[in-house]
Amino acid sequence: MTLELKIGWLYPTLMSTYGDRGNVIALQQRAQWRGIKVEVIPFDVNSHPDSIHQIDMMAGGGAQDRQQEIVMRDLAGAKAEAIKAKLDAGAPGVFTCGSPQLLGRFYEPGLGERIEGMGIIDLESKHPGIDVPRCTGNVVFEITAKRLAAELTELLGGKKPIIVGFENHGGRTYLGPNAEALGTVIKGFGNNATDGTEGAFYCNAIATYSHGPLIPKNPFIADWMIKTALQDKYQTEINLAPLDDSLADRARAAMLKRLEISD
Amino acid sequence: MQINLLDRVRLGIAVFAAKTITETIRTFKLGAASVLPGTIGKRLHPQILAMLSQQIKHGVIIVAGTNGKTTTSLLLRDILEKDGWKVVHNEAGANLVNGLITTLLEKTSLTGKLKADFGILEVDENVIPLVIPQLKPKYVIALNLFRDQLDRYGEVDTITYRWGKAIAELDCDTILVTNGDDPALAHLGQQLATGDKPKQVKYFGLSEPELYLDEIPHAVDSIYCPSCGTALEYKGVYLSHQGDFDCPKCDFTKSKLSIDSKEWPQVLIGVYNKYNTLAAVTTMESIGISKPIILNAISNFQAAFGRSEEVMYKGKKVRILLTKNPASMNETIRAISQVNQAGSESVSLMLLNDRTPDGTDVSWIWDVDTEKFVNAGGTIVVSGDRVYDMALRLEYSKTDLNSGANIIVKEDLKEAIDTAIKLTAPNQILHIIPTYSAMLDVREILTGKKIL
Ligand SMILES: [Zn+2]
Repeated sequence: MTLELKIGWLYPTLMSTYGDRGNVIALQQRAQWRGIKVEVIPFDVNSHPDSIHQIDMMAGGGAQDRQQEIVMRDLAGAKAEAIKAKLDAGAPGVFTCGSPQLLGRFYEPGLGERIEGMGIIDLESKHPGIDVPRCTGNVVFEITAKRLAAELTELLGGKKPIIVGFENHGGRTYLGPNAEALGTVIKGFGNNATDGTEGAFYCNAIATYSHGPLIPKNPFIADWMIKTALQDKYQTEINLAPLDDSLADRARAAMLKRLEISD
Repeated sequence: MQINLLDRVRLGIAVFAAKTITETIRTFKLGAASVLPGTIGKRLHPQILAMLSQQIKHGVIIVAGTNGKTTTSLLLRDILEKDGWKVVHNEAGANLVNGLITTLLEKTSLTGKLKADFGILEVDENVIPLVIPQLKPKYVIALNLFRDQLDRYGEVDTITYRWGKAIAELDCDTILVTNGDDPALAHLGQQLATGDKPKQVKYFGLSEPELYLDEIPHAVDSIYCPSCGTALEYKGVYLSHQGDFDCPKCDFTKSKLSIDSKEWPQVLIGVYNKYNTLAAVTTMESIGISKPIILNAISNFQAAFGRSEEVMYKGKKVRILLTKNPASMNETIRAISQVNQAGSESVSLMLLNDRTPDGTDVSWIWDVDTEKFVNAGGTIVVSGDRVYDMALRLEYSKTDLNSGANIIVKEDLKEAIDTAIKLTAPNQILHIIPTYSAMLDVREILTGKKIL
C-alpha cells in the first residue's frame, strides 16, 4: 500500500517572507524520498474553509505587515474555526516566524491598531515600539514541551532535541497560563527576550519565532510530523526509513561551534 | 545655484580639509578612502553634497534599485564618455551619503570648484529619500525592487512610497526612467506623471513574449495591484514579478514602453542584464545620445567587478556572477543554464557567506528555485561561511536522491576553487555564484588583487 500525505500550506504567496517555504520543501521531500505520495495543498484567500479538513498536516510562515492584514481579515470566522478544529483533532502543524502571532489572541503592532488573532493558543504578542531593537540573530533552544520532547528524544535515540535556527521579530510574545512553551532558549531572544521561553506547543502544533527554513536543519521535526500524521491517518504504527542527514548534522555542528555551544 | 561668499569660503575650507585627508589616507594606506573624506566634508559643511552636485553642468543621474545598479551605471558612463562628456561616477560602489560626497570631492578643485558634465550616482534604496532634495537629480532611474534584506530595508511598499514622496518634490523638468514591467515602479511613474508638479516619465521593459518564464517564481513580491490591492493578472512573467500585467478590478495597467526591446542588443548575459541595458538606453536616448554611440558602448562593454566579470585562472575561463537575493540568484542560475544548454558536463561554484554585506540571515536561499538547476546534472561545488546551509538547499532540490547534480562540499575556499577548476573542461566556463563578501574573497584569489 502506498501511503499518502496531504500537506496544507497556509497562504503560500502572502505568508512566505523569508525562506519559510523551506519547511514545506523539507516535509515534502522527506516523505517523497521514502516513497510516500505527497500532495501540497495551498490554503489561501480562494480556498473554502472546508478544504482544510482533507489535509493531514499544515505549515505556515511569516507575512509582511500588509500581507498579514489581508490574511487576518480572511481568516476571521469559518476559516479560523476549521483550522482550530483540525489542530484540536491532532493534525501536526509547524508555524514559524510571524504565524504564531496569528494563532494567539492578538498582536499589537509598533504602529497602528491591535490585530485580533485566531485565539487558538493562549498567547499574546506586543511590539514594544518601533525604536526598540528587533530580536534578530541565530537562535538555539531546547525543546522542553513535555510530550513532544519525550517523543523527539526517542526519535533521536536518546539525544536532547536541540533546535538551531534564526529569529527576526519586532513583536514580543507572552504565554498565558493555558499555553505550554515549546522550548527553553540556550542562545538568542526567544518569545520576549526576558523569560527564556521560546514558542508554544499546542496539541500537535509547533509554533516558533525560529523563522524560515526551520526543518531542513532540524529534520527530526519533519520526521516526527510525518510519523504522527500517518499513524493517525492509518491507525497503525509507522516506522520511517532513515535518511542520510549528515549535511544537516554538519550545518548544525558548524553553527553550534560558532556560537560556542556544546551539542 | 547661487553660492554666496561666506558659503563659498566655508565650502573651500571643507573641501581642502577633506581632500588633504584623502591624500594622507592614500599615502599611508590607512584604509578605505572611499567614505572617510565624505564624513569629514559633511562635518565641516552640512550642505556640501548639495553645493558640489549642483555645480555639475547637466545634472545628476541617480541609479536606484535592488539589483543592477553597478552594471547600469557603468554602461551609462561608457556611453556618455564615448560621446565626449566629462562624467563623475561613484564607481567604487560607495552608495551611502558619505560615499557620494567622497566621489564628488575627488573631482573638486581645492577651491571647491567641480567641473563635470554629468554625475552618475548609484544610490542605496534607503538613502534615496535623504539625498534627492540635495542632489536635485535631472534623471532618476528606477531599475527594480525586490525583496532584499528585510531586516535592513523594510518592506518594498514602504520604499516605493518614500521614493515617490521625495521625487514628487523635484522640479517638473525631472525625468523618471522607470521599469514599466514592475507593477510597483510602473505605478510610481503613473502617479508622478500627474499631480501638482507632474514629472516626465519614461518606461523601459521587454516586449518579447518568447522570454516569458514557465511559471511565476516563488520569490515574488508585488503581485497585488498597487492601486486597489487586487491580485494582478499576468499574460506572462519575464523575471520575478516583472512582466505583462493588468489589474482585473481597477484601471491600473501597463504604460506604453518608450523603446522596443527587440531593437537593442544587451550587455553581458541574462534577462536581468537586458533590463539594465534598456534602462541605460532609454535614459541616453532621452538625453539625445545617438544610436551608433550607444550601440558601440554596448558591444564594447566590460563588466564591473564580480558582475558577470570574466577572468582566466589556471588556464580556465571563469565567470563571476554576484548574487544578493532570491531574484538575482534565480536569474543567475537561469542565465547559466542557458549558457550550459549546448555544453556537456557543466561545473558551477556556489559561495554563501553571512557577513554584514551579505545579510546575516541566509534563509533566503529557500526562496530560490534551485530545483531545475540541480536536477539538470553537472557538478556544483559549494563553499563559504554557510557551506552546509547551501548544500542542504541543493540536496533538498533533488527529485531523486541518486540523480541530479553531483554536489561537492569544500569548507576551504581555495580548495573549493581548485576542485572546481580541475573539474572544468578546457572548452568550458566555470561559473562562480558568490554572495557579496564571498565575491571579494574569490576575486582576490583569482586575480591576486584586493579591491580597496
Ligand atoms: Zn487595481
